[in-house]
Amino acid sequence: MGEIFNVLLLQNTLRTATPVVLAALGCLLTQHVNITNIGIEGMMLIGSFFAVLGSYLFSSWAAGLAFAMGAGLLLGLMYYVLVIRFQSDEFIIGVALNIFAGGLTVFLLRTLFGVRGSFSGPGIDPLPQIVLPGLEAVPVLGDLLSGNTLLVYVSWLLVPLLWAFIYRTPAGFHLRAAGEYPDALTACGKSPDRMKCLASVGCGILSALAGAHLSLGYLLMFSENMSASRGYVAFACVIFGRGNPPLVFLAALLFGFISALGLRMQRYVPSDITAMAPYAVTVVMMAVTVLWGRRRKASKGC
Amino acid sequence: MTGFWQALRALARLKPNQRLTRDYLASLALAVLLAFAVGAAVMLLCGHDPLASYAALFDGALGRPRAIGNTLAKTVTLCLTGLAMSLAAKAGVFNVGGEGQLYLGAMAAAVVGARLDASAWVVTLASLAAAMLAGGLYAFLPGVMKVRWKVDEVITTIMLNSVAIYFCSYLANGPLKTAERGIATGTDSILPQAAFSSLIPLSNLTTAVFYAAAAALVIWYLMSRSRVGFEMKLTGENDRFARYGGISTGRLMLWAMVMSGAVCGLVGMLEIFGLHKRFLTTVSSEFYFDGMLVAMIMRYQPLGVILMSFFFAALDIGGKSMELSAGVSSELILIVQSIIIFFMAAEGGVRKALGERALRRAGRRRA
Repeated sequence: MGEIFNVLLLQNTLRTATPVVLAALGCLLTQHVNITNIGIEGMMLIGSFFAVLGSYLFSSWAAGLAFAMGAGLLLGLMYYVLVIRFQSDEFIIGVALNIFAGGLTVFLLRTLFGVRGSFSGPGIDPLPQIVLPGLEAVPVLGDLLSGNTLLVYVSWLLVPLLWAFIYRTPAGFHLRAAGEYPDALTACGKSPDRMKCLASVGCGILSALAGAHLSLGYLLMFSENMSASRGYVAFACVIFGRGNPPLVFLAALLFGFISALGLRMQRYVPSDITAMAPYAVTVVMMAVTVLWGRRRKASKGC
Repeated sequence: MTGFWQALRALARLKPNQRLTRDYLASLALAVLLAFAVGAAVMLLCGHDPLASYAALFDGALGRPRAIGNTLAKTVTLCLTGLAMSLAAKAGVFNVGGEGQLYLGAMAAAVVGARLDASAWVVTLASLAAAMLAGGLYAFLPGVMKVRWKVDEVITTIMLNSVAIYFCSYLANGPLKTAERGIATGTDSILPQAAFSSLIPLSNLTTAVFYAAAAALVIWYLMSRSRVGFEMKLTGENDRFARYGGISTGRLMLWAMVMSGAVCGLVGMLEIFGLHKRFLTTVSSEFYFDGMLVAMIMRYQPLGVILMSFFFAALDIGGKSMELSAGVSSELILIVQSIIIFFMAAEGGVRKALGERALRRAGRRRA
């Protein structure tokens, strides 16, 4: 058992959870303005491709991040125009976006790099690992908290920042109002559409960053469909955490823990079964969340 | 906090109540042209000749009997998956989990087809029943969660896709792996006489097409002509009104989901008995999602779904041969298809925006 439950497991948990955390933080923005965005899966995939592209072209991780964020920005804008401006069905657009992302990334992979399946190369510059001075010497905490890649820390910082933004600033209040009662916001002279645009673009950028962490964080490659339903898992985490960043973060950590545990159980359990576990747990999580919500409502008597 | 429950409810609110009007079909033609234009622009950028590539696409889809056979076989898959989506969507539930139901159906059919010791047609029919049962039961799970507990079915069905695919892969790699040599991941082969026979030599078109046609006919009748179909439509369009009219909407939604799953299971069985003759982990490559998009574009109208499936199938099969002969990556077709969908989803909004602009301009002229 000591082989499975050790510090490395927690380390893997953090690594696996980070893309889900970033995507879920993006998703919760759109969720607060009442847009059900299942297109984050595709945004993530495109983000991870463009991160590799930028990093490879300019041999710099910063260019990779810039490319990913640029792609995420464009996708967010596109999503906003289609869903809010032209009032399209957000579900259809989400599914179409995911298929579009699958097609586009493979098409570009073949035309730009001339390879099938996956692209990795010495020219790709990885995200920097940040060593926190002072902390690294502490036995367990040092291993966990120090030496992670940049986006891990970004995701940690974003959790309290987004919480403060959503629940403690006027702009965050307007954001939530745009979702819950847009007419009230209009009556205040603010535009709900502008808040929705902000959320949609923010979601695009964060999802693309999640993708960038997938391709530049540890693996240094892009492979077909590398997001592997993590976007949907992120969505489930948002539902589970009810859009509250710290809770969503915990849900994503749980997902990361189960994935990491599964990966390390492969010696004892067939790999297909361990790969199945996070998705099965997500379904159970969804049911539990809804049942809890109902019980709470019932006990309040409304 | 209420925002979240509203958002969850928003998913159930997506009402597939629009009809296929003449205007809509005109927009569709325009969208297809535009998407092809975008595709041509991309080809030009990559240094390919668009006209030659599109010619290769057309030839690859409909040029030879074998190509037509493959296109028709693909049409069958797309059309049945699209109809499965429509069945559920009409009743107001979204079954995104068809892929998983298809896998489980394929697995059930392969197991029954290999293990059952009986005459050929008994094996075929038993496998068919097993596949539909497996698919239906797997759809029952998210359906019950949706109806009883109001758990959003979109996410649960997507998650259950992955669960089913990994589970089938586990079975094909582990307990049910064939002892035959040369098969890396697959089950025992089915009874050879029970498999569907080929209709056009060397193509994928088999007698499965008759089963599919029968299923499509039943679904069309069910959706457009039967009382259940009418009740489903009422439920999907306005469930409160439907309940007021004495329809038990929950049960209807659940049934719609189960039937949708059963059709997906059937697709899996047709793939196994027509093409692979055993369960392989490559039995489907997101077939259900393609069918789902077809259904969405055609606003869940059975007849439209059947026609559009043929178009998308031609694009798909033609795209593969375009890659071989003209060197254009076949993923371009996915891009073209998704652009058609973006346009069509935005159709209503664009039309409205254009109308408003025209009104404004007319108003200015008068002033």
